[in-house]
Amino acid sequence: MNAQALITALEELRVALASVELPLVVPGSEEQRGARHEVLGQLDDYVLPRLRQIEAPLLAVVGGSTGAGKSTLVNSVIGQKVTQPGVLRPTTRSPVLAFNPADADWFTDARILPDLARTSAASSDPRSLQLVPVDSVPAGLAILDAPDIDSVEVRNRTLAAQLLAAADLWLFVTSAARYADQVPWDFLRAAAERSAAVAIVLDRIPPGAEDEVATHLQEMLQQRGLERSPLFAVTEGPVDDAGLLPAVAVERIRTWLEGLAADANARAAVVRQTLDGAIRSVARRSEEVATAHAGQVEMTQRLEVDVTRAYAEARRDVAEASADGSLLRGEVLARWQEFVGTGELLRSLETRVGWVRDRVGGWFKGKPQQAERVTVAVESGLESLLIEHAEAAAERAWRSWSSVEAGKRLLETGDRDLGRASRDFRREAERTVRDWQQGVLEMVRTEGADKRTTARFLAFGVNGLSVALMVVVFAHTAGVTGAEAGIAGGSAVLGQKLLEAVFGDQAVRRLAEHAREDLEQRVEALYATESARYLAVLDGLRLDPAGTESLRFAVQRVAALSTTEGTAR
Amino acid sequence: MTSLVHGAKRLVGRGGSPVGERLTALETAAATARGRLDDDVVDRAENVVRRGAGRLALSGDHTVVALAGATGSGKSSTFNALSGVPIAAVSVRRPTTSATTGVAWGEDDAAEVLDWLGVQRRHQVPPSPEAADLDGLVLLDLPDHDSTEVAHHLEVDRLVQLVDMLVWVLDPQKYADAALHQRYLRPLASHKDVMIVVLNHIDEVAPADRGPMVKDLEKLLADDGLAGVPVLATSAKHGDGIAELRALVTRRVREKKAVAARLAADVTSVAQELQRENGTVDPGQVQRADKAELVDAFADAAGVPTVTRAVQRSVARRGSQHTGWLVTSWLTKLKPDPLRRLHLDMGEEGKQLTGLGRASVPEPTRVQRARVDGAVRSVAGGIGSQLTPPWADAVRRASVSRLDDLNDALDRAVVGTDLGVSRTPLWWRIAKLLQVLFALCLLGGLLWLAALAVLGYLQMPTPDAPEEYGLPLPTLLLLLGLVGGLALAFIGRFVNGLVAKSRARSADRRLRAAISGVTDELVLAPIDAELSAYAEVRRALAAALR
Repeated sequence: MNAQALITALEELRVALASVELPLVVPGSEEQRGARHEVLGQLDDYVLPRLRQIEAPLLAVVGGSTGAGKSTLVNSVIGQKVTQPGVLRPTTRSPVLAFNPADADWFTDARILPDLARTSAASSDPRSLQLVPVDSVPAGLAILDAPDIDSVEVRNRTLAAQLLAAADLWLFVTSAARYADQVPWDFLRAAAERSAAVAIVLDRIPPGAEDEVATHLQEMLQQRGLERSPLFAVTEGPVDDAGLLPAVAVERIRTWLEGLAADANARAAVVRQTLDGAIRSVARRSEEVATAHAGQVEMTQRLEVDVTRAYAEARRDVAEASADGSLLRGEVLARWQEFVGTGELLRSLETRVGWVRDRVGGWFKGKPQQAERVTVAVESGLESLLIEHAEAAAERAWRSWSSVEAGKRLLETGDRDLGRASRDFRREAERTVRDWQQGVLEMVRTEGADKRTTARFLAFGVNGLSVALMVVVFAHTAGVTGAEAGIAGGSAVLGQKLLEAVFGDQAVRRLAEHAREDLEQRVEALYATESARYLAVLDGLRLDPAGTESLRFAVQRVAALSTTEGTAR
Repeated sequence: MTSLVHGAKRLVGRGGSPVGERLTALETAAATARGRLDDDVVDRAENVVRRGAGRLALSGDHTVVALAGATGSGKSSTFNALSGVPIAAVSVRRPTTSATTGVAWGEDDAAEVLDWLGVQRRHQVPPSPEAADLDGLVLLDLPDHDSTEVAHHLEVDRLVQLVDMLVWVLDPQKYADAALHQRYLRPLASHKDVMIVVLNHIDEVAPADRGPMVKDLEKLLADDGLAGVPVLATSAKHGDGIAELRALVTRRVREKKAVAARLAADVTSVAQELQRENGTVDPGQVQRADKAELVDAFADAAGVPTVTRAVQRSVARRGSQHTGWLVTSWLTKLKPDPLRRLHLDMGEEGKQLTGLGRASVPEPTRVQRARVDGAVRSVAGGIGSQLTPPWADAVRRASVSRLDDLNDALDRAVVGTDLGVSRTPLWWRIAKLLQVLFALCLLGGLLWLAALAVLGYLQMPTPDAPEEYGLPLPTLLLLLGLVGGLALAFIGRFVNGLVAKSRARSADRRLRAAISGVTDELVLAPIDAELSAYAEVRRALAAALR
């Protein structure tokens, strides 16, 4: 009833599946990516074309191990040499599709297996499909000779898997020497899981061993839930001049296939069984892909948090170190003390001695130049803070990414320099500090616009006052950190006094607050460009968190529709 | 280890290759690389060492040859055909052989070897004239590697690691299977000297196809990196090619080189893998500029500028106590000694107390600490950039491993350094003496003049003061004392300034020398330890690959 709705739902599922990529390397991601690829292929090669044209001929794919005699078997069943068997392993040639000429229209266009080019001649290109119209193939049935599933030739294996996924019916060929091999059984297990229609051909049995081997194989099939699949035993025997087995050896297979072709109901039942199983398997595996995708999204979020945390820590460290007065020791302190000179300055502020003295003093002491020296000292101190913490943050981020497989792989493929601060970081840090100092200067200049003429403003100048403001900023929390309080606190008090004398204490508090916020914003912006190098790697993965949901939704729709469809039929 | 060397000697003594020495070298490399290179690779190397030591400790007179292959390729038939005794079970049911069977030929009991291999089903064939060529052979029939029985794969995986020689039995149906080529042959590419490939069931192939099939197999083997491995076409059923196989095997058994060759291949393979991780470049030295920046950063963190400033001021202060004008110089004693404020004034006696005292040089600030960390990072980075990532990481870890002791070590270095402040130069004493004399002159002149003035005031006769250079002596004394004292003080102040500067410079030098020792101890020594570990691994690997 609702085939069209199911087709639409499956098409939507296909789109959703195609849009979720699994770029990260996590445990099992190789298989998950493979599963996604296979499901996409199965939708294109089999489920969608079969649903659209439910009356198309039944496609029986002959698959199996290398050397099991697939080609000879196909030729013998058809009764005509349509495909070239070889003794050399693995036989590399394009797969052969044999069908009744009446069915030609079904196969010449790209309805199924759209990515295989159609040819009419034998070739060794595994990306093409050789079409052979033969009268002896009954109408309504097509036989496809697939490459082996287990040889060293990787292309054969992937193509075989693709062709088997596109089959209405598997004709699985194994041999007496091989029936216990692991690889074919992996395929059969997969077939059993999605309840595909399978017939098993046990080929090349040494004469006399038919019963023992066939019984053993039957037991194995039973253990693995495939006991309902027909089992055909073919004894190893001489081939005739045309390379065909005696007709009697393949008689049972031939009759069975012809019966299937003649009985439209039986054929439809086989198609339905495989198709329903395929849709169920598509839904189940898509759900797995959705889970894998959710896991990948979670992993990228974790990696992102690692980076953000590493740089947040750097920002916090810089903020603390630039507020607790540690910048005011060593070089900066020495320059600051030179600048403010001896206690006379303090006295002059307290006793408010007139401007002449300030001016004269300033003239002789050359204060603007000394203010410059404090600025330079502040710059180099701040710079080394910024650089070191950028390096440390890069290293921390690198470490935490390295601790998970996915992160490690991203680092391996990405820029080798991610573990260090970026190359021109020193220059950027210099610029940031200088811009901030410029900003402080501007702030003081604006604030002092109407105080230009007062004595003290003139005495210390914009430079001197902005230096004092920086000192106050750097000693922001110094009062509470014990050991630092003595020296840094003292300097800050001095700076504070100086500023208050010029601007008044309200304004000083506001200015210091502004300058501090300005510094923090600039540092944040600086580190944001650093962490962006890591985040760009994650962005490059193009993992859309919404993809999981839309895929899950599509899966649910398909599941719901296929159940009602199944019961309706 | 002794057993390893002992076993090696036995082999060497018989004229075999010095595989024992290579194993020892590999053991050294693995032990040193542990914790520094990838654990998996180191584990593999240690397994090779353990296996090699185990094998060398056992009889060198036995050669263990294993028949391996897919289910149904005729391992057991080949085994029976080769040994001439029907011991292994042959069947059309797959898989047939589930436990390894071992057969040993010759007088020497192979029980020890078979125990080591963990093979339970065993037969000892006593020496006989027709099997004389097989003396010393231990032949194993392994289970298949590709059936649905996972236990079989595990048994094969285990024994493939242990045996001296491998005979891969393939068949026309399965010789191109991915299970064989990818899981076994490619990883064993370095073992082609101890490998033979047999294409069994050749009787099932039309005679015309046999040649091309062997060629095809040889091509596949070459793709696996196994070019040159002997390939024999056999039919265990009809006995074709079995004589050649037996001749090939017995020749190897007679030569008794398979044990060493197998181990040598193991060592080569894993040592190459380790070498890839380890790298072979010369790491070079710490750059001079990096080292200078490191010492600067440490000195800054230790407060060296503060200390040298204090030294300068302290020396100037002590100088002015000696050379200053006595009338005012006592005032300087009221000012505290800047070095004492830092608890660094202990001088000679203080040196004996080193380790007890603690300077109150301020702890490094975050800025100074950041500078130290940056300098350490660039030293480690400079060295590490030459090395492979695991070693670069190890160097980086080593470089910061001891930085927790930074404050303490810097403090000890500063306290333990003789700042050269306590030395009192001779001219200070002379100047002091002169100042005393000048002061006495001044005092004498003053008293004399005062006495004269008192006598004059009391209208008493005043004796004429003797004159010198046209001036009365008391006045002269007064002037001499005044001018001499002030002039000496002035000159002394100037010279003391220079002395203080030079003392500060020398203190700076000494402090930096001591701090350079700290950088050696805390940063460079751990890095050097890593570098010598690297050199050790490199050397040992070169020896293991010899």
